Amino acid sequence: MEENKIYEKEHTINENYRQKPKVAVYVCHCGGNISDVVDVKKVAEELSKYHDVAISREYAFMCSSTGQDYIVEDIQKNGINRVVIAACSPALHELTFRGALQRAGLNPYLYEHVNIREQVSWVHKNDKEGATKKAISLVKAGVEKVLRQDPLNSIRVEAVKTVAVIGGGVSGMRAALSVAKNGLNAVIIEKSDKLGGKLNRSGNVYPTGEKAISVAENLSKEVLSSDKIKVYFNSEITFVSGYVGNFQINVKRKNGEYEKIKAGAIIIATGFDNYKPYEGEYGYGLNKFVLTLPEFIEALEKSGPGKFNYNGKDINSVSFIHCVGSRQIDGIDKPGKNGKINEYCSRVCCTSLINTANNLKTKYPDVEVFDIYTDIRTYGMDHESYYKEASKNDVIFFRRPLEERPSVEFDGAKIKIKTKDVLTMNEDMEIETDMVVLGVGMVPNDITDLVEYMKLPKSSDGFLQEVHPKLRPVEVANNGIFIAGTAQGPMDILESLQASNTAAVKAAALLASGDIPLDPFVAVVDEDKCTGCEKCPKECSYSGALTMIEKEVNGKKKKVAYVNAALCKGCGACAAVCEPRAINVAGWSLDQFDAMVEAIAKE
Amino acid sequence: MSKPKILIITTNHSSYPGANAVGQARLSYGSNTYIIRVPDPVMFPEDFYIRAFEKGIAGIIIMSSGSDCPYEGAYERLSKRIQNVYNIMKQKNININRLKLTTICTVCKEAFLKEISDMEKVVQNVN
Ligand SMILES: Cc1cc2nc3c(=O)[nH]c(=O)nc-3n(C[C@H](O)[C@H](O)[C@H](O)COP(=O)(O)OP(=O)(O)OC[C@H]3O[C@@H](n4cnc5c(N)ncnc54)[C@H](O)[C@@H]3O)c2cc1C
Repeated sequence: MEENKIYEKEHTINENYRQKPKVAVYVCHCGGNISDVVDVKKVAEELSKYHDVAISREYAFMCSSTGQDYIVEDIQKNGINRVVIAACSPALHELTFRGALQRAGLNPYLYEHVNIREQVSWVHKNDKEGATKKAISLVKAGVEKVLRQDPLNSIRVEAVKTVAVIGGGVSGMRAALSVAKNGLNAVIIEKSDKLGGKLNRSGNVYPTGEKAISVAENLSKEVLSSDKIKVYFNSEITFVSGYVGNFQINVKRKNGEYEKIKAGAIIIATGFDNYKPYEGEYGYGLNKFVLTLPEFIEALEKSGPGKFNYNGKDINSVSFIHCVGSRQIDGIDKPGKNGKINEYCSRVCCTSLINTANNLKTKYPDVEVFDIYTDIRTYGMDHESYYKEASKNDVIFFRRPLEERPSVEFDGAKIKIKTKDVLTMNEDMEIETDMVVLGVGMVPNDITDLVEYMKLPKSSDGFLQEVHPKLRPVEVANNGIFIAGTAQGPMDILESLQASNTAAVKAAALLASGDIPLDPFVAVVDEDKCTGCEKCPKECSYSGALTMIEKEVNGKKKKVAYVNAALCKGCGACAAVCEPRAINVAGWSLDQFDAMVEAIAKE
Repeated sequence: MSKPKILIITTNHSSYPGANAVGQARLSYGSNTYIIRVPDPVMFPEDFYIRAFEKGIAGIIIMSSGSDCPYEGAYERLSKRIQNVYNIMKQKNININRLKLTTICTVCKEAFLKEISDMEKVVQNVN
């Protein structure tokens, strides 16, 4: 891959870091997430006695503006010149807190983040004393590290101002349009031959009543007419390489040609799959009058005026069963091919099922409709009106007990459903019906290859997982990669579009300035200590990153190691072979680690 | 006496997020474990490990990024170096099982826990 330009950006630095160290330690409660397990008062108290610590506080939410104000104030008024915060994972708030140091005029790298949530309180729930002791040691190690920290300037790398969107359903299309609106280019990589995903179907959609297909077509017209969006149809991704700002996506086209797409950020909008009932699940596959909801929507659309006719038979009654393949219970429902049950609620099915029942009643008012559910989750704005309308339409509801499943039996041409009904004090009910419709849920799409190429995190449900549901809802742990829509979990169209807009704005903001700040963690040479032994360049895998040069140091000409910061990747292979410790990765020096281990090893 | 301490060296790129994933899933393991993170463990010289044992660390698990390593050649260099460390450990009569080089990815929760429970068994008899 070609190298992109890299340069340094000076931070405003207050020179007081040169003075005697005055460390401030802050221990965050994380609103109980930490303090329910770790005795945060004790941690702060122990640290207040530790050498070079001038201030040690605990606070409910260090990331809140009040929490950050403490840091700024302590730096500006109390002469603090180094900061340690014990809180959640640095992935969430390291940047937040560096920002606070910067605002206070302190170099943002004179900061150490200690993770006492994901790696302490959440994993040692049953050992409060041990967790507290561990937290104390880790924070002490953090103090040792920050005491040996030099101020650093961040490096910026030029970024490709294009966002690659994988998947061209409503989510992918919305994301691409939003990226384009923000002035960047977008590329949609779609594996099929059309845009629209699951909305390329008949029937209408709640809550607007529009035809599903027109929602897809309206968006796709906009996408195809945008000069900022390029769509690759029939394209299979064969590899993804690179890093934030400079990804490369290898794509195989249907015609066998290969293409390399460069992008600064990636949005994954690969959508969902419909749950497929196994043969015999509520009679599915054994009787052609047992259909899934998507199949039924097609059947309803195809049937002409007059009577509802399916497969040559007049249908006079239809029974809907909710929660097929969702909210499954261990020991009651049969695990899928992956050996797992789907414990989650698919959220969309209740409203879409009831909307479909209403559509059936509108088209064929004489058809009797039965609805067997556990809970009706018509949760969204105006969704409840569909439920009310169904009641008005004389849809007859049966509520099954949570842990019981209705049975579907066939008696010649007749279909019988047996269920207990909570609404009539658990009475056994028997429903004779011409057709059964299974309200199937959403399951994760099979994107094993993408997960593998990009090392994407998945939740226990198998959908892609965000860093944090509230703080970073569309980002995955991998820098520069975002998720949009149902690839993340069950969502309806509105929610998918909202998530897609968020992902697009995040990606656009990342690339807007044309360069991305990277951590300044590259190798640095202490020329006084360097003996010119020439061992380190041999360890370096990056050509030109580490060389030997002749240089005047302290008035004497000598041979010293020289690092090209634009080419150094900061792995530290050089540091391991340097006996006098003249070369180190900035921010990660061996002296720092020795001191940390010492603090941890001590009682 | 407190429990023998296990030092876990993780990478920014893969095993540190892996350790976070274990926490996010609310799984649990012993509190005698201390995670530090580095760009890549290839930066540690042989004597770093020996010093850690001498300071009182009972076991060290290096959770590298393995084949996912973003740094060219780093994993090969690291495994060679660990071989050297094993040789020094043998000379110094330190049980070589107290140092383990393994690979943990961002989502390898089960493997993460297994490495810890394996090391717990090794360090039980180290004081
Ligand atoms: C039966 C049913 C009825 C519904 N009714 C409603 C309703 O009335 N109202 C409502 O708001 N919502 C409804 N929904 C939900 C709605 O369908 C979804 O919210 C919406 O389709 C999500 O869009 P998406 O773009 O996230 O996913 P998808 O529509 O699944 O699109 C994903 C796209 O990504 C592509 N893709 C997948 N993998 C790859 C890959 N590896 N490389 C390249 N491309 C890839 C696919 O080909 C597809 O084009 C319903 C859902 C179901 C199942």
